[in-house]
Amino acid sequence: MDLDKLRKTAAEVVAREDVRYLLGWKKGTFGYRIAPGFVEDAESAAELIFSPLCTANLATYLTLTEKPPLPRGQEPDDRKVAVMVKGCDSRAVTQLLIEKGIERESVVIIGCPCPGVVDHELLAEKYPETEETAELKWSDKGFLLLQNGEETEIARDELLAEKCRLCRYPNPVVSDIMVGEPVETWEPDDDQGVAEVEGKNAEVRWEYWQEQFSNCLRCYSCRNVCPLCYCEDCILDRLNPTWIYRSVNFSENTAFNLARAFHLAGRCIECGECERVCPANIPLGKLNRKLAREVREKYGFEPGVDPEAEPFQASYKPDDPEEFIL
Amino acid sequence: MSANYEPNIVAFLCNWCSYAGADLAGTSRVQYPPNIQVIRVMCTGRVNPLYVMNALQQGADGVLVSGCHPGDCHYMEGNYYARRRLGMLKDLLEFVGVDPRRFHMSWVSASEGHKWKEVVEKTVEDAKEAGPFEGFRRRQIDW
Repeated sequence: MDLDKLRKTAAEVVAREDVRYLLGWKKGTFGYRIAPGFVEDAESAAELIFSPLCTANLATYLTLTEKPPLPRGQEPDDRKVAVMVKGCDSRAVTQLLIEKGIERESVVIIGCPCPGVVDHELLAEKYPETEETAELKWSDKGFLLLQNGEETEIARDELLAEKCRLCRYPNPVVSDIMVGEPVETWEPDDDQGVAEVEGKNAEVRWEYWQEQFSNCLRCYSCRNVCPLCYCEDCILDRLNPTWIYRSVNFSENTAFNLARAFHLAGRCIECGECERVCPANIPLGKLNRKLAREVREKYGFEPGVDPEAEPFQASYKPDDPEEFIL
Repeated sequence: MSANYEPNIVAFLCNWCSYAGADLAGTSRVQYPPNIQVIRVMCTGRVNPLYVMNALQQGADGVLVSGCHPGDCHYMEGNYYARRRLGMLKDLLEFVGVDPRRFHMSWVSASEGHKWKEVVEKTVEDAKEAGPFEGFRRRQIDW
């Protein structure tokens, strides 16, 4: 990935009159941290980076932007928002387009073909984080870590994030501007996480999830970080009727996690953000991927690929499977 | 589980077909197990998957959702949507280890009093085999 080209493109885009700001990744304050960058001028565009550390899905910010009421007589700012997307993030944008969560005219999509990002936890475990900001680059063998003036070659398989092992769309499916050459698609691994849970019998599965869900703090980070959880009136915040109580116990935690997973059925684009931000390390990705697989295999629907598609849960086919019906 | 355990089953019936079918079963004096608590909804498309989960949380041992046959929906397509959603819900519940026998869906038309009986018998029998569902009960708080 040519960073100069990326920064030049970004500077050109933010210089456009119809663009409000650009969402990108920039270096964080220490170690392996990456911060989202809200770029408004060419100067800050020079801080942008794209590296294997850029795991965050910036499509979240498209719907997260607050729209406070305007003073009388003031016109809303209708300019476009530019966003830098990896393959998975571009699917989130596409899914937002499918659901009409955003309009195509309101975004400028800058596609960054992505050879796979790292698992931050694994990285920090194997190569301890220091205060100095480190750099990670893609190299021929995998990754190249630049830390405290030292260079370390790391094999790709060692640090590659789980979502990237299973990735089928490393290249952005939708973009206005592409930065860099498309990468070669790799053969996705079998989803062992889901297969492992499926292989157990019902009681063991229940106990497994009981253990996982009992750890849930109900911080709702998974909801807040999800690019597709953008309802203004979320079922979890609603008090009348209270579908899911706020008390932290197994029953409510299970209901919450199931509701969250279900609301993403046929919408989840498997960017793995929920799992990454979960402070209790609940394997939310397994729930999401299980449902995504069912949707793909049983209903032949893949979220976030075709912007013209009908949303999964708001459409039907007369020949949907119904072998479960008595 | 005691020998004379009787399951609690919540049934969401669509107003136009299954509710009328259950009514027909009643007027035709068809005998079927009394474990069913019927909740009438206007269409199965109105059944939010959260209803099913809430029923299980609040003391149901099994849940049945029943509506018109595909193509017969009073609202043209409500049951098609329900089939998709609840099919996904069934997969999800099964994945987290809820016994698949606890959740059933069926098509019962207004003239199928006898089919209604079979559906109820099957649901009750399955819920009986699965036993009481204690794991997911909402904690009751006595203030």
